[in-house]
Amino acid sequence: MTTDWAERVGAALGAEVLDDFGVARVDIAAAGWLDAVRTAREELGCTFFDWLTGVDELHDGYRLVCHLAVPPVDGARIRTLIIRALVPRDEPAVASVSGVFAGAGWHEREVAEMFGVRFTDGDRSGPGERLLLSADFDGHPLRKDFVLASRVAEPWPGAKEPGESDASLAGQEAEQADAGAPARRSTRRRSRPAGVPEPDEWGPRAPGSPDPDPLAAVTDRRPRRGGSR
Amino acid sequence: MSVPERSRGVIALIEDSCTSCMLCARECPSWCIHIDSHGVTEVPPEGGRPRTTAVLDRFAIDWSLCMYCGICVEVCPFDALEWAPAHAYAEPAAGALLHERERLADWLVE
Repeated sequence: MTTDWAERVGAALGAEVLDDFGVARVDIAAAGWLDAVRTAREELGCTFFDWLTGVDELHDGYRLVCHLAVPPVDGARIRTLIIRALVPRDEPAVASVSGVFAGAGWHEREVAEMFGVRFTDGDRSGPGERLLLSADFDGHPLRKDFVLASRVAEPWPGAKEPGESDASLAGQEAEQADAGAPARRSTRRRSRPAGVPEPDEWGPRAPGSPDPDPLAAVTDRRPRRGGSR
Repeated sequence: MSVPERSRGVIALIEDSCTSCMLCARECPSWCIHIDSHGVTEVPPEGGRPRTTAVLDRFAIDWSLCMYCGICVEVCPFDALEWAPAHAYAEPAAGALLHERERLADWLVE
């Protein structure tokens, strides 16, 4: 453990340092994001910018994560630092650090597209064009409430119970059709894949709409274990 | 060619251990495991009520979708899936990366 390093980080950034995984990391308020990154570079010697990314923490907001390092000199052990900050879900914005590390602009553009986090005052954060998504792409695909349309359209391989096959399910459907019954796979409730809302819960939804919220479907649901052995 | 121990080359299927319980197919984040099975009901030789067990008909992994996370290996309660070191199984067409049970059993390292 680099406890002396953790102490230096804590003193410079004025925050509690966790290093239980061997990498010093600090959680700071979003308002102090830019200052923390600048301090890490100027006072702690973290001149190597590794990456910057985001995590959708659902109702807590979006967590920004930045990994910096002190380039090792004379065979010394490399020192790394992770700075994290939460931005609120309803107004996800933070000051750009592209003035401190020019290369961070690329990472910020990626986070902006994937999570919809706005990076303000980014005088070098790129020309404003899309970096990865096509210009007409609607939505932020790494947000957990972004539903992959193919997951709704594609049959889930886990929907079958032990002892069932695609052929046997197709046979059931054919029998029901012959009997004049409405087409349905089984009277038993089928297992549903994790993170994919029921078809009637999913669709374009305006903020504040009374329609079912796809976010509610992704918080704590696991696939239902239907049937019995 | 030797690869480091714990390399994630390919996932091998030990058919005799598989009970078609569907856990791997349900936990797979990539939806790349396809299992078909049928139920067989028989009276146990020692007597008692008839029992229905699932018999595996198809087990396939689509390597064009797999992200090699290993969740299926971890989640299998019967250790029917395991990592094997083979890694050179590229194909000219994505469809050929769908390996059926015979191919998955072949990856098994003695």
